[in-house]
Amino acid sequence: MDEQDAIHSTRFSRTAALAGAGAKVGLNYLKYYGRRALASEAGAKALETTLHEENASQVFKTFSQLKGAPLKLAQMLSIDKNILPAAYLKSFAQAQYSTPPLSYPLVVRTFRREFGREPLDLFDEFTRQAASGASIGQVHRAARGVHQFAVKVQYPGVAESLQNDLRVVKPIALQVLGLRESDVAEYFEEVKARLLEETDYALELQRSQQLAHDCAGVPHIRFPAMYPELSSARVLTMDWVEGEALDRFADGPASQAERDQVGQALWDFYDHQIHQLRLFHADPHPGNFLVRDGDVWVLDFGCTKALPEDVYRQQFRFLDPSLLDDATALARAMEELQLLLPQDGPVERAHLVRLFQDSVGQLALPFRHGFHDFGDPEYMAAIYRNGQANSEDKVLRKLRGRRGSPHSVYVNRAYFGLYSLLSRLRARVKTRLPDWLAPVGAA
Amino acid sequence: MSKPKPKAGNAGIRERIVQRYFAIIAETGAPASSLPAFCAELGVDDAAFHEFFPSLEAIEDAFWTGVMDHVLKSLAGGLEWPEFTARQRLLTFLFAFLENAADQRALLQARFGAGGLLARPEALRGLEARFKEFAAALVAHGVATGEIADRGRLAAIYPEALYFHFRSVIDFSLKDVSPGLERTDAFIEKTVHLAFETLRAQAFDAAFDVLRFLVPSRSA
Repeated sequence: MDEQDAIHSTRFSRTAALAGAGAKVGLNYLKYYGRRALASEAGAKALETTLHEENASQVFKTFSQLKGAPLKLAQMLSIDKNILPAAYLKSFAQAQYSTPPLSYPLVVRTFRREFGREPLDLFDEFTRQAASGASIGQVHRAARGVHQFAVKVQYPGVAESLQNDLRVVKPIALQVLGLRESDVAEYFEEVKARLLEETDYALELQRSQQLAHDCAGVPHIRFPAMYPELSSARVLTMDWVEGEALDRFADGPASQAERDQVGQALWDFYDHQIHQLRLFHADPHPGNFLVRDGDVWVLDFGCTKALPEDVYRQQFRFLDPSLLDDATALARAMEELQLLLPQDGPVERAHLVRLFQDSVGQLALPFRHGFHDFGDPEYMAAIYRNGQANSEDKVLRKLRGRRGSPHSVYVNRAYFGLYSLLSRLRARVKTRLPDWLAPVGAA
Repeated sequence: MSKPKPKAGNAGIRERIVQRYFAIIAETGAPASSLPAFCAELGVDDAAFHEFFPSLEAIEDAFWTGVMDHVLKSLAGGLEWPEFTARQRLLTFLFAFLENAADQRALLQARFGAGGLLARPEALRGLEARFKEFAAALVAHGVATGEIADRGRLAAIYPEALYFHFRSVIDFSLKDVSPGLERTDAFIEKTVHLAFETLRAQAFDAAFDVLRFLVPSRSA
């Protein structure tokens, strides 16, 4: 009868932590409305910014305390810039670097559970302190002789607490983002499925070996070797890679030629995965890439997404310039993807088609002319402006019903992430339309 | 009837007593409660039993004390143990104890699962004493390294509190249904973290100060 008590109590404390954040967010809103009632029109806008910033840091603190799923969700939101006001992004972008560590005895215990041996039975050296955090675990540095390894160790029980966390986070996320549960249920399922996969290091090992093999021909993209005999569902061992984190490289003094080479490598890498393999690394977070001698090293394959062929075709036909320029054909294509629903009135339809034309046109722009300069600050600024405008659009906000395909979550995430990385790099890249969309007769 | 060789025969009886005692727990989920019934079933007279054990509980007491000694000895022999902080030592001990007791789940259930966290069964006396010795040494180590605030005579309750925590860890593990008891690992990690934050932080002292302030005012 009290079988579940202990588990309830931990669930309760997690819920309490989240409820705490919810309460603080609510309190901030109260403060805001109180002050706004007294403020002038001009002061109101400034207050709104303050509110977003206060809420963002509070929500972020809570998410990062909970580790596991909420942290991952925060990371995803940090990439999906269209959903959140800019103020949230500053805080969420730190998510990668602020997880509470596993103690060394717990790491030892995990090794004993997984291998029946301790770290020092398997390696000559093994750092007691983690070298870096990962969203659901941490990375230790190990050595055999002169050979250096990176060993990722997962926080115990992550898979079990993940579903629970998502259930608790869901209403708060819906509240913060202003969404209706029934409209986004499929999207949450999609995120949940990917998150659950991330807790399976055996799957990650297999996929990283697969992708490394399939992407061997992409210039300047490198992969650390993986060690199946030193890996399990909870421990993943690969070569230690020295290099500069991609964000640090981007913000550093690298020359334009170096930036272009790194940017091109990333572009080609994603292009090959999405348009050739239909299986891609869906976590283009700067923390997942290292730069060394002009090569990009890809770490962390926890989040990969496979696209069924029909979904792929539906999603990427919008890259076709002739479709984007033809409002009637575009509306038909949007119906097929269920972005437009039968119950939408003519005014709504026209409005949605125009919005879609604008946003997708903008995102497809790099594909259009065979070359794109991501260093153009106006380009990303326009994307953000557009996102902000969409998030404030009255028709969009009132829009109900399930729309689009849940597969698009990770496609969008990958492209948003890629574009953010490239603009941070200020890279200029050569692009091309997928063969099946390229005009006949084009090279 | 020829006299049995004392040593071999004695060892045989002791072994049979111990085996039967644990077999009963495995079969019924509870330890034997009546010494006469136990001896009758085994065909051993009371006097022979008492040559080895003063009571039924003493059989189990010896067992748990043995587990504890084994765990503590193997830990102290670990290469990294001398460098470990008090927090790391406590975590290592808890993980190791549960690993050693993992194949004794029925026994753990029968002894630790019943009677609540504060019960002091006779069968756990040796284990409790050993644990508290270990905890006192741990606290001394923690105070020396500055991990634990030295609160003078108040520190005497630390081993008591740590023993309660130890019991609650076992209790949690008995209710844990996660694969590989992963949730128990997380429980240990999180609660030890909490405990050490409490032992170090000022909050505890402040709370005690308030208590000290309030208690005399009632009688005054």
